[in-house]
Amino acid sequence: MLRLIDRQEVIRMARLARLELSEAEVEQYQADLTNFLTSGKKLQKVDVSAVEGTSHAVSITHELRKDEVGSSLPREEVLSAGPETVDGFFKVPRIVEEQE
Amino acid sequence: MTRYDTVIGLEIHVALLTQSKFLCSCRASFGAPPNSQCCPVCLGLPGTLPLINEKAVEYATKAGLALKCNINHYSRFDRKNYFYPDLPKAFQITQDAFPLCNDGYLEYYVDDQLVRTAITRIHLEEEAGKLIHSGESIVASEYSLVDYNRAGIPLIEIVTAPDIHQPKQARLFLEQLRLLMSYIGVSDTKMEEGSLRCDANISLKPSGSPVLGTKVEIKNLNSFRALEKALEYEEIRQSQVLDSGAKVRQESRTWDDRAGKTVSMRSKGDAPDYRIFPEPDLPPLNLDPVWVELIAASIPELPLERLNRLEGEYGLSRYEATFLVNYPDFGELFLELADSGLDCKTVVNFLMGDYARLAREKGHLDSERIAGLFQILDERLISQTQAKEVLDALFSSPQTAREIVKDKGMEVVGDPERLRPIVHQVLEANPQLVERFKLGETKLHGFFVGQVMRATQGKADPEAVNALLQEELVN
Repeated sequence: MLRLIDRQEVIRMARLARLELSEAEVEQYQADLTNFLTSGKKLQKVDVSAVEGTSHAVSITHELRKDEVGSSLPREEVLSAGPETVDGFFKVPRIVEEQE
Repeated sequence: MTRYDTVIGLEIHVALLTQSKFLCSCRASFGAPPNSQCCPVCLGLPGTLPLINEKAVEYATKAGLALKCNINHYSRFDRKNYFYPDLPKAFQITQDAFPLCNDGYLEYYVDDQLVRTAITRIHLEEEAGKLIHSGESIVASEYSLVDYNRAGIPLIEIVTAPDIHQPKQARLFLEQLRLLMSYIGVSDTKMEEGSLRCDANISLKPSGSPVLGTKVEIKNLNSFRALEKALEYEEIRQSQVLDSGAKVRQESRTWDDRAGKTVSMRSKGDAPDYRIFPEPDLPPLNLDPVWVELIAASIPELPLERLNRLEGEYGLSRYEATFLVNYPDFGELFLELADSGLDCKTVVNFLMGDYARLAREKGHLDSERIAGLFQILDERLISQTQAKEVLDALFSSPQTAREIVKDKGMEVVGDPERLRPIVHQVLEANPQLVERFKLGETKLHGFFVGQVMRATQGKADPEAVNALLQEELVN
């Protein structure tokens, strides 16, 4: 079967989404995504030149909220979501590598 | 730097001064204990839905109008996906293809020349959390601490065209932009607290070439000075790269203020791929034109308009007018005093002199109390020298200038009929000196004035004394 998406692309997308895929999963996703894209190709044949583009499933306009302060979560509860905390902060490992 | 033309564009983030966050009702204030102003929405917990803060849209619109932008009645939010520790949802809600505002400009002075920088677009987005690095800079840090209180505060990102040609111009632009934002009251614009931040793009091209060079983005510019210094550093670095025949690498660099240089930043992993798509949780914004007009009507006099008015209508110099525009509290006070009929030059000299020093230490005086001081000066009740003492007293007591003068017994004696006997006494006590004066030793005039001042404990009006002495000695 012709693969519309190559292995490297699957691995790249997985990395962008921080997903660790096994060899078998890469194979599986490549097949699944090829199916999606095949369906997409069929849809692309439909003439939509007379249809206005849309970004949302339902056509509603915005609803705005008054600028009023409500309650926040207790701090302990907030901090309980992270693996490591220091003095009320979340602690995270090195972000950027130095290079010249 | 004559062989190359410098091309600079700025991206400025301005935190909007709302009570609550952009998409949830957590408090948006600065300075609370870390992670104490967070909720499921701004932490990006599953199953939550954002709801847009009306004030954030109003302020963004106001900023767009003040920067002479088109306000797009239709605008849309998008989801920008990336992993970074300050971004709890792993995506930022921003506006990509359909921003709220576009095609504006800001006018400002560079060395007495009015210049204009085009604003390409302004869009609304949410702020990220705050990172505190363990080392001296992000590159030198083994770990970082995260505070999500800031995550979700409403921001506008203002993007300029690559219209700026020197580091100093970039600083002047940013200073004028900061002033504009504070005039319209949409932000407290504190660079030190991060409510005004600036990234700069800079490239060099051979002089006169129509083709732009490769640009470098500079981050971590935490002050006006840092912006100018970092751009100056980059101008030199890039010109040296080009001189050597090499190519400038397109990259992000961070400004290391301590070392006074920019350092290349390389994030772990791939080049950015944000996979931006329309934000499914927020419907598009459709602004009511009437609402936009109401916002337009709420915009006060802007800095450049005020500068022109102070020069044109009040006859102030560029220097004086700039002072009053840059310190709007002084500007308001000036307008109140000048509009009450006082002489403009006198008022501005007063405000920029001793008053400025005292007001910065102790806060402003009411315009009526200042006017009271001018009034008794005008009546010659006190001398200019005594006025300084009265001014000091005005800052430390609730009394009026007139009351202070009375309590301290400072009234100047300017009445010739009260001064004449004292002048007579002084002249009679020094007959030999009077003779010498009459023989041409005119410098003795100062001695007689001093004697009268001494006899009156400094309360005599020197001008009145001069006139009397002239009268008594010459005639």
